[in-house]
Amino acid sequence: MTSKTHHTEVVRATRSSRIAMTLCLALLLALIAMPWWASSGNIRWAIELSCYIAIAQMWNLLAGYAGLVSVGQQAFIGVSGYLLFVLAQNFGVNPFVAVLLSLIAPAILAVPTYLLLRRLDGPYFAIGTWVVAEAVRLATSNIDYVNAGAGLTLRVMTQYSQHEREVGFVLLCALLLLTTIGGSYWLLRSRIGLALTAMRDNPVAAASQGVNVGRLRFYIFIAAAVGTGFAGAIYYMAQLRITPSAGFDPFWGSMSIFIVMVGGIGAIEGVLIGALIYFLADRLFGEFGSAYLIVLGLLTLVIALYARGGVWGLLQKWGDHAWFPVRRKLIVEENP
Amino acid sequence: MSDTPILSTHGLTGGYGDFQALFGIDMHIDAGEVVALIGANGAGKSTFLKSIFGLLPVDRDMVKFEGNPVGGTPAHMMVRRGIAMVPEGRRLFVGMTVEENLRIAIDNARLPEGEGPWTREHLFDLFPILREKRRQPIEDLSGGQQQMVAISRALLCQPKVLLCDEISLGLAPKVIREIYEILPEISAFGTAIVLVEQDVGLAREASNRLYCMLEGRITLTGVSQDISRDAIAAAYFGASHAVA
Repeated sequence: MTSKTHHTEVVRATRSSRIAMTLCLALLLALIAMPWWASSGNIRWAIELSCYIAIAQMWNLLAGYAGLVSVGQQAFIGVSGYLLFVLAQNFGVNPFVAVLLSLIAPAILAVPTYLLLRRLDGPYFAIGTWVVAEAVRLATSNIDYVNAGAGLTLRVMTQYSQHEREVGFVLLCALLLLTTIGGSYWLLRSRIGLALTAMRDNPVAAASQGVNVGRLRFYIFIAAAVGTGFAGAIYYMAQLRITPSAGFDPFWGSMSIFIVMVGGIGAIEGVLIGALIYFLADRLFGEFGSAYLIVLGLLTLVIALYARGGVWGLLQKWGDHAWFPVRRKLIVEENP
Repeated sequence: MSDTPILSTHGLTGGYGDFQALFGIDMHIDAGEVVALIGANGAGKSTFLKSIFGLLPVDRDMVKFEGNPVGGTPAHMMVRRGIAMVPEGRRLFVGMTVEENLRIAIDNARLPEGEGPWTREHLFDLFPILREKRRQPIEDLSGGQQQMVAISRALLCQPKVLLCDEISLGLAPKVIREIYEILPEISAFGTAIVLVEQDVGLAREASNRLYCMLEGRITLTGVSQDISRDAIAAAYFGASHAVA
C-alpha cells in the first residue's frame, strides 16, 4: 500500500471549447432574436438548418455511438408531424403546445420497433428500419382520418400573425438545439457517455466491463426517435402541410447520412460542419436538381474512402481543438 | 468458512451455434485460489471462459457462483455479481486514454472505487508505468503496458473471481514475468483467478491447481506442483503422445 497522498483533478474544458461555447450561446441568442432583426426568408432558413442539425445529430448518436445504423428515421419524423397536425387541427390544441405533445408518437413507435429489430445486426438492422418506415408510410396513406395520401394542412396557424409565428418557431428551434445538441453533449460528458463510446468501439469489451449494452442501445434508440420527431414536427409545422410522401420521405435518412459522413461521425462538431456544408450546397446548387445530388453522393463516397473521420477528422489532424470536448483529463499532483 | 466454491461448473456444454466445443466440463475454484486452465489451441479454453462469463449461451445450472446458478447471465450482470474478465487480445478502447479505459470499469463496477479492495492509486502502485501514462491514448502504449491496463480495468470492477484469457500472448518474456508476479498479490485480496494459458511452465508455476483440456474435455486435474510433466504432456496432447 502507498503512503503518499495525491491531489487529483479532472479537467475537460479547453480554450477552444470555451470559445465554442461562447459562440454557441451568442448564436442561440441571435436565433431567438431573429424575428426582430431578420427577414422571414432568413428565419425559414434558420428553421430548416436547425432541423437538419437536430435530425443529423440524432442519427449520429444512433450510428456513431450506439452502432445502430438506421435508414428509417423518417418514420419518427412522419408520426410526430402527423400527430401535431391532428392535435392542432382536429382537437384544437395550441399548435406550439401540440409540438411537444406530438413527441409521444415517436416514443411509442420506437419501443416496438426496437424490440422487433434489436436482434438484427448491421445491414439487417438498417433494412429493418427502412421496412418499418415504409410500413408506417403505407399505413398512413390509407387512413382516411388523416386524409390518406392527400395529407393535412395546418389551417389553425392563420390565427397567429406572422410575427407571432416566427417568435414561436425560433423559440422551438432554440429548444430543439438545446435538447438535441446540448442534450447529446451533456450525455456524452456524463458517465453514460464514456460507456457509449466504449460500446461504439467494442460492444463485447464494454459488456465485459459491466456496461449494459442492450439497455443503453434501447435508451439511445428512443431518445434519437424523440429528438428526430421533435425536429420533424417543427419542420412540418413551418411548412404548414404534411403528406405521407413528404413526412416519411427516405430523403431524411440520406440527408442524415450525408451530413454525418461528410462532417465526421461520432462528433458533434462533425454534425455542425456537415449540416452547414449540406445547407449551403443545397442553397447554392439545389437548382441543378439531379446533377447536384450526384455531386453530393460522390462527395460522400470520396469522404468514406479517403477521410473516414470526415471534415472534422481532417481538421483534428492539425491539433486537438475540440469545440465539444467529452474526454476527461486527470491531473494528479503528489502531495509532499 | 463455507465449503461452497466461489465458482463452479457442472457438466458445462456449449459452443458456437451448431458447433459443440465443450463436452461436460466440471471445474471449481475457491476464494483466493489460482487455477490454471491449460491446453493446446482449439482445446476449448477460451470458449469455456466465455461460457462462464455469459458471452456464450449455456444452461443456468451449468455455472454456479457462490452456490447460485448463474449460467447464461449476461456479461454485464456477471460483472455486477463479482466476475470480471481480462479478454484475449486485451480489447481495450482505442482512442481513449488509460484513465478513460479505467473509468469505464469504475462506473460499472460491483462496488464503488473506495469500497472495494482496488483503487486506481493501488493499481498505479502495482504498475507504476501506468501512473506516468495515464493521460496517453491507449494505442501509444506497448503490448505489455496495454495488458497492465486490461488487468487493472478488470480489477477495478472489484471482482471476486478474475478470468484471465491468455494474458501472456504476444508479450516479451520479461514483461510476462512482470505481469505474472502481480498474480499472488491479487489472490492475496481473496480474489480467485482462473488463468487460461498455453505456456504450461508458466501456468504450473503461477497456479495452486491445474486443469488440462483437450478437445473440449478435461483430461487432467490436480495440484499444480504435484502433477508431473509427463502427465501434463499426455493430457495436453492426448494419451498417444504420453512421454514414457
